[in-house]
Parts: sequence; structure tokens; C-alpha cells
Amino acid sequence: MPELKKYTEAELVLLLRQRQQESFSYLYDNYSGALFSIIAAIIPDRDLAADVLQEVFVKIWKQIESYDSLKGRLFTWMMNIARNSSIDVLRSKSFQNSKQNRELTEAVYEAGGTTNINTDNIGLRKMVARLKEDYKVLIELSYFEGYTQEEISNMLSIPLGTVKTRLRAALIQLREIVK
Amino acid sequence: MDTKAYIQSGIIESYVLGLTDAHETSEVELLCTQYPEIKKAVDDFALSLEKNAFANAVTPPADVKTKLMAALGNEFENDKAAPVIPFHTNENGAAPSVKMWQFAAAAAILLFVVSAGLNIYFYGNYKSANDNYQALLLQKNDLQASNGIYQTKANDLAESLQMMADTAMKIVPMKSVKHTSDLATIYWNTKTKDVYLLQNSLPQTANDKQYQLWAIVNGKPVDAGVIDACTGLCKMKNIPSAQAFAITLENKGGSPTPTLSAMYVMGGV
Repeated sequence: MPELKKYTEAELVLLLRQRQQESFSYLYDNYSGALFSIIAAIIPDRDLAADVLQEVFVKIWKQIESYDSLKGRLFTWMMNIARNSSIDVLRSKSFQNSKQNRELTEAVYEAGGTTNINTDNIGLRKMVARLKEDYKVLIELSYFEGYTQEEISNMLSIPLGTVKTRLRAALIQLREIVK
Repeated sequence: MDTKAYIQSGIIESYVLGLTDAHETSEVELLCTQYPEIKKAVDDFALSLEKNAFANAVTPPADVKTKLMAALGNEFENDKAAPVIPFHTNENGAAPSVKMWQFAAAAAILLFVVSAGLNIYFYGNYKSANDNYQALLLQKNDLQASNGIYQTKANDLAESLQMMADTAMKIVPMKSVKHTSDLATIYWNTKTKDVYLLQNSLPQTANDKQYQLWAIVNGKPVDAGVIDACTGLCKMKNIPSAQAFAITLENKGGSPTPTLSAMYVMGGV
């Protein structure tokens, strides 16, 4: 949590770049929960989401040199890594296959207690759930599933301009909810 | 530029959530450097997303951290080691690896010094051995050369002895005509008519003088050759017949007629 921070963001980034184990441990302890909420909102499978979280921290460790504090906050940079990694997994062939399998055995999952998280209660989704339906769909497809506006325009048979305007309006509303 | 309208367009939120394309992204980043209110709008939304994510944090499985620390274990700098490795150790200071490194370096330097010393020592040894070898080689060549000379002399002497032992050899002693102890001997092979001279005792000649042997044939002197330095019997000219032999001292190179006043020895056959 920000108020419990022992290091400032600048100090933390500096120590990470010096390859200090303690700083990485601190980074994980302080940010893993928040980043896991980003990942879990996109990937319902808890074990898979945990794998993605591990991958995300490895990426943060390897790419910390490319983080530019002038462009934005450290968490924003890490959050985007988390979202992009999650969507990569979501779009991967192996995930699509396992999703099919899961759909076939959905009854079993539901009967025997699932490891899946109900994503509707997680992080940003909780906020998005409060939007009206045609805004919700656009944020679902673009933010949570990673489709481009052109793809969404094709999928929903809505003109590209309308997708853009409506998505922007949805985000303005989301901003007010998140505030 | 109407920054308020820009901020209200939703592009700020698209940018922070990673929904902008490359062109829009660079546009927002550029405007952030030019308009503090746009930068503030970006930071505000980022911060509220951050707070929201922290407020809704989901605790990940405990083994993720364990696996991560193991996976990145090799990449961490040792927390205890200072960024600059100190060159001097103290009792409670440097890590064992530094001590090992220092020990290895010291050992390497010591080995190098010892090796350099041995190189100098062995080079000295090599040099004196080589000098000795060269000296011995010279000495050996000298000995070989003088050995060759002695061998030749021995062969000549052996040959002379063999000739003297030949029964066909006629011996003509030539005695001093001046009543001195001068003596020379002719060995004349009666079959081949070869003439050999043995200088038993003749005085040393001056550098520009040389002894010459003459055969007296029917009262007339016939040149039998000048006498060069030789070992044992000196081979002279072939003389078919003679009644006597004589030796005179002539100018170097010999003379067509003998200088009778300078006759040293003479002997009749």
C-alpha cells in the first residue's frame, strides 16, 4: 500500500536497477496484490493467473531499465505490463484449447468447487459492471480482451467512429466511478 | 489549444489504460510535456487506478514469490557486498569470495615472480652450458685436425719404413764433404729407379735457400729435384742410373747447375 512504503518510487527504481534482491522482494510484497487484481480480472483461472503474475514480475525485473519516470508512475507502467501479458495468454492457442475443454466440463467444475475466480468482483471489473450495457461491452472487448477498435467494429457491426466515440464516453464515465 | 476539451475527450483514460495506438500514445506524451494540466489529468487518472487496484488487491498464491526468488536467484547482487569491491580485507569485512579472489591473485603474482626468477636462473645456466659446449666443439675440431696431421705423418712414416724394408732398395749414405756431422741417405729402388731421400742431419737453411739433390751420371751432375719439407723419405726425381749422389745449397727454387762450393754431402753408389 502506498502509505506503508519504505522507499519512494524513485529509490525503489534505483535499487531495482542496481539488482538489489531486497528491493525486488519489497516490490513484490507491495505490488503483487494490486497487480494480481489486474491479471485476475482478465484471466479467470487462478493457477494460470498466478503463472502470469510470475511472468510479469520477471518482465519488470528484466525491463526496469526501460521504465521512464517522466512518462508516468511506476505502477501504471507495471499495470500495463500485467494487462498485456494477461491478454497475450488469453489470446494464446493453448489457452483457447483449455477454454474449450473447460466449457465441455463446465458442469463438473461447478459441481466440484472451482478454482476459477468470479471476475466480476475483481478490481476494475467491479467498476465496469456499473456502466450501462453498451459501454460495458466496449470496455470488455478492448481493455479485458485486447481487441482493437477495428476488430470491435467488425465484431459488433458498428461503424469505427461510433466505437471510438462510445468507448471514449465509457472511459469518461469509468473515470468518475474510479475516482 | 483547448486543453479542457482534450481532457474531456477520453483520450487520457485510453492512454493510461493502454488502449491508444502508437500515434495517439506519442501525441499524449508530447502534450504532457507542453501542458501541465494534461500531465496532471494523466497522473490523476493513473493514481486513482492505482489506488483502486490497491484497494481491491487480490493476494496471489504464496508460492509465486518463492518460485520468483528462485528463478531470479542468480541475478541478484549480493546485498552484503558493497558496489565497489574493497581491495583490503578486514576481519569482519569482505565476503569469503573476495578473500578467495585476493588469495588467488596473490598466489598468481607470487608464482609469476618465482617463475621469472627461475627463468633468469635457467637462462644463465643455459648460457654457460652453451659457451662450454662451443669451446668443447672448437677443441674437438682442433684435436681432429691435429689428429689428421699425425695420421698423415704416421702413414708417411709407415710407408717409408715399408720402402726401407724393400729388398730392391739400394741404400746410399751421403757423408759430409766438409768433415762435419752432416748426413743424408739415398734410398734408390733398383727396380723402379725411384729415388727417396732421408735427411738424417742437415743444417737449417735460410729462408731464401733450399737444398738440391744431384745425381752424378758419367761425371756430370743431373738435377734430381729440390728438397721440400717432408716427413720420412722424400720422393725425388726418377734416376735410371748414377754413380754418385750429392746435395748442394742453392737459391730457393733450385738451380740448373750445382754450386760446388756449397756442396754439403756426397756418397758414391
